[in-house]
Order: sequence, then structure tokens, then C-alpha cells
Amino acid sequence: MPEGILCNKIPCKTKEMLNALLSDKSGKQYYNEMNHLQINTEALAATIKKTLKSRMKTWLEICAHCGMCADSCFLYLANNKDPKQVPSYKIQSTLGEIVRRKGDVDNAFMQMCMDTAWSKCTCCNRCGSFCPFGIDMGVMFGYLRGLCFSQGFVPWELKIGSGMHRIFHAQMDVTTEDWVETCEWMAEEYEEDWPGLKIPVDVQNADIMYTVNAREPKHYPEDLAEAAILFHIAGENWTVPSEGWEETSLAMFAGDWEACKIQVNTVYDAMRRLKPKRMVVTECGHAYRATVIEGPYWAGLKDGKTPVPSFHYVEWVAEALRTGKLKIDPSKKIKEPVTYQDSCNYIRNAGLADCAREIMSYIAEDFREMTPCREHNFCCGGGGGFNGLGRYREQRNIGLKIKRDQILATEAKLVIAPCHNCWDAIRDLEEIFKVGIRWSFLKPLLLKMVVVPEHLKPPEE
Amino acid sequence: MFNRILFATTASPTCDSAAHVAFDLAKKYNSDLYVYHVLGLPSRGFGHFAMDARTGETEHVGPDYEAWVIDEINNTYAKQLAECKTAVIETLAGVPHTEILRKARKENVDLIVMGAHSREEDKGAMRYRSIVGSTMQKVAKSARCPVLIVARPCTTCLWYFSNIVFGTDFSKASDSAFTFAFHMARHIGSKLWIFHAMDMSSMHAGKIHSQNEIEDKIKEARKKIDEKYVSKMGDYDNYEVEVWEGIPYVEILKFAREKNGDLIVMAHHTREIDPDEALLGSTVEQVVLRSNCPVASVNRPDHADLSIE
Repeated sequence: MPEGILCNKIPCKTKEMLNALLSDKSGKQYYNEMNHLQINTEALAATIKKTLKSRMKTWLEICAHCGMCADSCFLYLANNKDPKQVPSYKIQSTLGEIVRRKGDVDNAFMQMCMDTAWSKCTCCNRCGSFCPFGIDMGVMFGYLRGLCFSQGFVPWELKIGSGMHRIFHAQMDVTTEDWVETCEWMAEEYEEDWPGLKIPVDVQNADIMYTVNAREPKHYPEDLAEAAILFHIAGENWTVPSEGWEETSLAMFAGDWEACKIQVNTVYDAMRRLKPKRMVVTECGHAYRATVIEGPYWAGLKDGKTPVPSFHYVEWVAEALRTGKLKIDPSKKIKEPVTYQDSCNYIRNAGLADCAREIMSYIAEDFREMTPCREHNFCCGGGGGFNGLGRYREQRNIGLKIKRDQILATEAKLVIAPCHNCWDAIRDLEEIFKVGIRWSFLKPLLLKMVVVPEHLKPPEE
Repeated sequence: MFNRILFATTASPTCDSAAHVAFDLAKKYNSDLYVYHVLGLPSRGFGHFAMDARTGETEHVGPDYEAWVIDEINNTYAKQLAECKTAVIETLAGVPHTEILRKARKENVDLIVMGAHSREEDKGAMRYRSIVGSTMQKVAKSARCPVLIVARPCTTCLWYFSNIVFGTDFSKASDSAFTFAFHMARHIGSKLWIFHAMDMSSMHAGKIHSQNEIEDKIKEARKKIDEKYVSKMGDYDNYEVEVWEGIPYVEILKFAREKNGDLIVMAHHTREIDPDEALLGSTVEQVVLRSNCPVASVNRPDHADLSIE
């Protein structure tokens, strides 16, 4: 049986297919079918020929096997320095081999590639900053994921995830109606405490177009309300688009290049339609990487820039605190030791480390840096889709040890993690290791310490 | 009186008492009844796991599991469902309080009925402790309609209630709670006890009130009750007013016990305490956990005046 019913080379494009995949408990049938999936070696060779450009070719060839990347990889460290976890080995034995064999590989080999690409690398790109040649294994693993996806070798949850993007233009089944309804609901919910609070949908020429992670409207709508309240206090002229509001990309984690492009184009279309001065995205790391850093290239925008300037939430918060749009009540600053989880996707890969420090200088009295930190911080342990994959749960949990020890060394009990993935990973590590820490996004903390201007307070009862 | 009722249930014994009341009410008033079960937290990233409310085990969420859960709910409430033709069972994976509130809003329900874990022998509830606790608290805090919380077996049917206790702290939300309590009492024909407990918890901070001071405050509270509530009851005279002093949740529980209260009605303060910080913090939560009778939490005017009247 070359092509399975669920596991095959065709991306999930219909609701029927999506439901069939979802019905397959933990992907049992899916992974079973994968054992029989045939490789289209010609197509694989053609894809490599067309998409493997000089940068990666060079990287694969010039690697001197010096091993400098080894200690940079948290999975190598967490797995007792297993030589098979050395980044250079991991990429040479997978992508390197596929290229050398010109795509002539078998099923077992592709499954090994899949397991390596999704359970031995989170695409955190830390190794790239330690390689003397600047070889970035994370970038190459992202590429390898694309090759695996094109041949149908992708973890079950991510086939579903990229299917969600194709069908709903969101990583979860949140429709335009659901989204707009949630905005109305949250505005109503909080209007008593915040007279005049609005979540304006589809307003043209606003100063800010705000975009989110589908998990927020789906599971944590309070997050959207908190964002609205903070914009309200800061006096921002803002809006959300009715379509193109989802900034995340499980398609990127899946290596579904076509869906990546579809997804970011929905956001860019919203920018063109509403013509805001700028776009701000919620506290999510990979969303920013997908839509702001990588997305323009996927969409074929030659200048590598989004249609309007785009900012991560920490950039907006830092600016609001700096300019006094948001003022912190000094007596309410965080007094206990607190540390900050630098997200790979917007700190290492987008250079926003200073914004995070600036924010901490306003809100915390005893800020403790992790070691290492900033651009050199370790991945939370759950990046690149690692958090959500049942098949690699055990491997993920082993990897969390590094972050646990980093946090414990700061002696802080509170970890600020303005990234959904980091937030999840830190929550999970507490659940597994029970070290007694708490974790939080920025929004709820800011709301507890921000000065509310008199005219925005509800009338006294 | 209640056209649409949302019964939010874990379908575990924790919710048996609440089920009794929910089905009873739906039968009596021929209300549409949504038996709604939110499968535990699907919070593992974008993974498809949920924690089963009864066993506490991690389950894979999908059509199979949901069908199984609906089956289980059908079995659990087989007897009640056979007698109540207006009930529909629905399940959904999600964060319980979010989905309960979303559903209540979508169906514009007049009443939410929930259980609260009060039994230690209930394994699922113990493991679920913090989650169920805060689910109830968050729903009670944010719901637009009255929320009836039934933690212990309710021996009489609601329409035989003879003593409704309305506890007030004179907040705006309490006005809505009063509206609900008064209309209930009038509709059922039961006695309405209007009760206020003067908060003496500041004593712990070393502040001691003199007897005169306390008595003045009690007088003041009685005056407030006359102005705010009694004046709005027209010719309804089946009521009494009492003001005690102490720690509010203790006093209201003592009072309800003394008067054989069948229902306590109060507001859940929106600005009282951050529910994430104080699991057992709010007065409503304390009252719910310890009360022998159902507790209705009403914060907003919507649906408080019982739509038929």
C-alpha cells in the first residue's frame, strides 16, 4: 500500500479529511500507514534540485565536524551528551544524506529523518550562533521538515495543524464568526469595569492592527480582553481584522510551505485592506517569526518586509512604558525575585532582547537573568512544535531539564514568559518536576500594576 | 420562569445534587435544558489531550472519546432524561469556565446550574480540586445570568422552598441579586430574609470597634436595607430583615442554618479578590462549599427579574 488513507503525500485540505485525521486516536492508524508509505524519489530529487540553494549546499559541504555546536544544543546536554545529539551529526545524517543520495532513500530512512527533525531539534537556531562558519542547523532542519512533509512523513498532530491553517486560516477551528463573536463577548464582559472599552473590528487607518494566536479566542479569551484593556488605558487607536487575525503558523512547524504562504497572506491582505500604521502581535514567539521574519519571503515580498511595519507585543509594551502611555504604580512593582524566559523566536531570531530588559526595569525590583540569557538563552524545551507532539512526549520531557535547572539557578519563583510555547513548556516542567515555580504572560501582570487614569475608572457605586 | 437552563456538569457524583435540581426545574417550567459537559483542559500546546473529569486520566480527544462521554452521560442521567424531553446533551473540549460562559451567552440562558465538589470521597473531584473550584468561581463571577450552585443534596423541590435568604453587602451587584431573590420569593410564595453581615474581619488587623460604633453601624445598615430593598417590594410583606456582625461568610451560613434557609442568594463581587490568588478567598466560594442549601450567585441585572413576570 503505497499511499495511506490518512498518511499520504496530500496535505489535508478538506473538513472531511480533517475529521478523519482527528478521529484516529493518537494517530494510531496514521503511523501504521506510514510504515508502508512509498517514497517518490524522483519528486524528492526534483524538489531538492529546485529548492536547495547555494547557502544550504555550502553549509552542508563546509561543516568541518569540529563539534563546536555540540554544547550549544540543549537536547545534547539533556541527553548526557549523546554524540547522536550533536547538531552537525543530526543534520549530516539526515538532510546531508538525502542530498548525497539525490533523494534515493527508503521508508525507514525517512521515518528516521522525521523523528530527528521533530524530536531532536526545535529549530531554536542556537547552534548557528556558535558555529565558527555560521552554519545554522535550525534553518536546515526547517528545510528538512519541508522535504519530509512533501513525502508525507510528518507527525500526525502537525498534519492536522497545517490542515487547520488551510481550512480555517487559523491553527484551530476558529471561524471568522467565532472570532468576531469572541471580540464582542469580551468587550461586553469587561465594559462594566472599563466604561467605554471596545474591541473595534475592521476599522480602517487605525494606528495599530492587533493580531493574535488562535488559542486566545479559543481557550483564553481573557487574554484578548487584557490586551484590549491595556490598549484602552494607553489610549491607543487600534483594531482587529475580522479575517487575517491569526498570526501563528503550525504550517511552519509542519514544513507545509504552501500552507505557510496561504496563512501569512491572510494577515498581509488584512494589512492592505485596513491600512493600519502598524501591526502588533500578541505574546507569541513563533507567530512573530512566521509572519514578520520569514513570512514576507514565503509571500514573495522582495524587500523582506511586511506590508506595514510589524511589532512584537514586547516592543509595544516597552514603548508604552517608555513614553508614559502606560505608567506603573511603583508600589505595585514585582518585589519577589523574577526571571524572564527569552523566546528564541523573537529574541535570538529577531533581536528584541533589549525590549525585554527595558520592560523588566519598569516592572520588577529584583530581576534575575538566567544563565545564559538574551540571544544565547536556551530554548524553553518545547519549541518548533515539540510541545504538542504525542509521539515525542518522553523526549520533550527529558529536554525540559535544562530550562528547569536554569530557572532554579536564578532562585526566582516567578517566570515571565511572553510566548505561548515557552509558557506551555514552563507550565509542563512544573507539572513534571514540581519545583514550585509560577509562570505568566506580561498582560495579567501589567494590569495589576498599571496606573489607571481617573477618567477611565468606573463610576463609584 | 426559566426558558433556557444550562446545566454544566462533570457527570461525576459531584454534580448529582445539581443534576437533581436542574432536571426538576426543567420539568416544572418546561425549559430547554442544555446538559453541557466540557471535556477537561486541552492545554498541551496544540495537542489533542484532555483530562477526564471522572477519572483524572489523560484522554485523547476526538469523535470516539466524545461519543463515549455522551454515552456515559446518557447512562448517568438515564432516569432523568427519560422524564425530561427538553434536554439536549452536548460536549466540547475546552477550558471549562470559558466554554460554559460562551455557551450561556450563545443560548442566552436564564439560569446556569452547577455542582461544586464538597465530597472528599469523590476521587475525580479531589484531583480536580483547584480546577472545579475556580471554574465555579469564574462562572459565578462573569455570568450574565443567575448561577445556581448545588453542592449538597437538595431535599425539596425548588418551588416548595419556604425560606430564601438574600445576603447583601450593598454593592451594585447585590441589587441584581436582590431582584432575583425577591422575584423568586414572590413567585414561589416563600419567605424572604434580607440579611446583612457587618464585616468585622478588620478585628484581626487589630482594629477594635466599640459596642456603640457597632450598634450605630447596624442601625445604618437597617436603614440602607429599607431604602434599597424594602421600598422596592410594594405590598409584599412576607419578609424579615436581620443584620448581624462578624465574618460575612460565617454569619450568613449561621443565619441560613438558623432560619432553615432553602436557598441563599448573593452577589459574587467582581472586584473582591483575584480568583487565581485566593482559591478559597471569596465569600461566595466559602458559602457554596459549606452551605447545606443551594446558593444562587447573581451579579448582573440580566435575567434577574425572571422573564415571565
